[in-house]
Amino acid sequence: MKKALQLALGIVTSVGGFFDIGNLVTGVQAGAAFGFQLLWALALGTLLVIFLIEMSGRWAAVTGKTVPESVREAFGFRVWCVPFAILVILHLMTLAAEIGGISFALEMLTGVSYRIWALPAGVMLWLFLWRTTFDAVEYSMAILGMLTLVFVVAARDYRPEPAALLAGLLPSLPQQDPTQYWLLAVSIVGALISPYMLYFYSSGAIEAGWNRSYIWVNRGVSVVGMTFGAVISAGALVVSAMVFGPRHITVDSMGQAALMLTEVFPFWGYALFAAAIGIACTGAALEVSLSLAYMTAQTFGWKWGGSLEPREEARFATVYTGAILAAALLMTAGLDPLKVTLLSMTFNAAALPAVAVPFLLLMNNRRLLRGDANGRFSNAAVVLVIVVSFVLAVVSIPLLVMGN
Amino acid sequence: MHHLIRDFLDKQVVDRDGEPLGRVDALVLELREGRPPRVAELQLGLVPLARRLGRRAEALAETLHRRWGVRPSARHRIPWERVLDFDVHRIRVDESAEDSPATAWERWLRRHLIERIPGSGREDAS
Repeated sequence: MKKALQLALGIVTSVGGFFDIGNLVTGVQAGAAFGFQLLWALALGTLLVIFLIEMSGRWAAVTGKTVPESVREAFGFRVWCVPFAILVILHLMTLAAEIGGISFALEMLTGVSYRIWALPAGVMLWLFLWRTTFDAVEYSMAILGMLTLVFVVAARDYRPEPAALLAGLLPSLPQQDPTQYWLLAVSIVGALISPYMLYFYSSGAIEAGWNRSYIWVNRGVSVVGMTFGAVISAGALVVSAMVFGPRHITVDSMGQAALMLTEVFPFWGYALFAAAIGIACTGAALEVSLSLAYMTAQTFGWKWGGSLEPREEARFATVYTGAILAAALLMTAGLDPLKVTLLSMTFNAAALPAVAVPFLLLMNNRRLLRGDANGRFSNAAVVLVIVVSFVLAVVSIPLLVMGN
Repeated sequence: MHHLIRDFLDKQVVDRDGEPLGRVDALVLELREGRPPRVAELQLGLVPLARRLGRRAEALAETLHRRWGVRPSARHRIPWERVLDFDVHRIRVDESAEDSPATAWERWLRRHLIERIPGSGREDAS
């Protein structure tokens, strides 16, 4: 009974926590520029995130440890410090992008510039972490996150041709603008496998007291939760393809993206979009901040937990406070939320080998995992997707930098 | 017989009540003639940790410690005699997180930053 509840809760939470600014921006841009043609990148990224999330939950359930501490213990600080440093930078970039998303939603609703909203948005996030518990963060985001289903509702309304959708699931070469095509492909994958999800998820599993008997709960949450989450991302891509594609509109600002729901919901579309984005980004920003604090505390062996009072874990609280402040200041300085998002999603993909390889080695540690170690199939799938995304990312980063 | 690096280096260190103190950043071994080496002490701190990345990192950590450090010493040494017990998860030592030099930063941040912000914990009410 308790497990059934955990399963349901986990699925709802991962659907709510899955969709963020990265999924939105990459999906909308891909849909506007290439119709359904990039759906395959979404499928590839989802497959990878299912494997990675399942692995991180399985590790936590079987060993009772989180990934950062285990990598440090198994391979030593010298090996762990490289991915750790990369992860800190990725977390800060992603946090800045999510705060940009919240501030942009507020700009849509009030007409006041996102730069003005960045700091108040940061304060709101910080208050949430300062005063509430892990469970409160998780449940409220799970419920509010359901609002992002508007993208799926809108996509259904357009009745896209099933054959065209299926064709998009098969990788194909672009007819025009290959640079942008590959760049978007890699940023879609990068947005789906945001590393913060792994660290947040496995720390959550430890906090919920998972043990070996939760392996099936974990498997269910990863497969069903991530698939549903991906359906929301696909919804945004499809709506964008139907709205912007025929009109040959390329989406190069957040303001344009905001109009995508007004056809289906003439009166509420604009506000619904703002609310969905604001909530999705708030949930993601909370997860990113906690994930960074978890990861740092676990690396150095500090006290950590989402439900303790700040004074009981002063260093943990200092990490998320400092991170939110830094990220909010970056947005106040006037970084373009759209560019920060695309850049950090591409870096996510480029950094994947450094982050995933030690993790993959860990998952093959039969001394600790015994029968629950990775099988050949998961290893092959993860290695394949890592190689593909890494190659794509390394090819695209120079293009991205030159393109600007 | 233990595999020293695998079983001790980088492991979680907790105090006598199980409160976290940090991780084993360095091990000092004592070589004994005709007998296997034994662990003389565990070291915790940024400087011993940075030393593992190279001399330059160690020098940088030393400078940081001299300028801004709040710990009484750059390396907190825990002699092996103060290890109470250990398992695969943690090493329990005879210290208290309340006053151990290993948690000096935790106390400094609590006092100078966290507690000055309203709503930081139960003691606000009093």
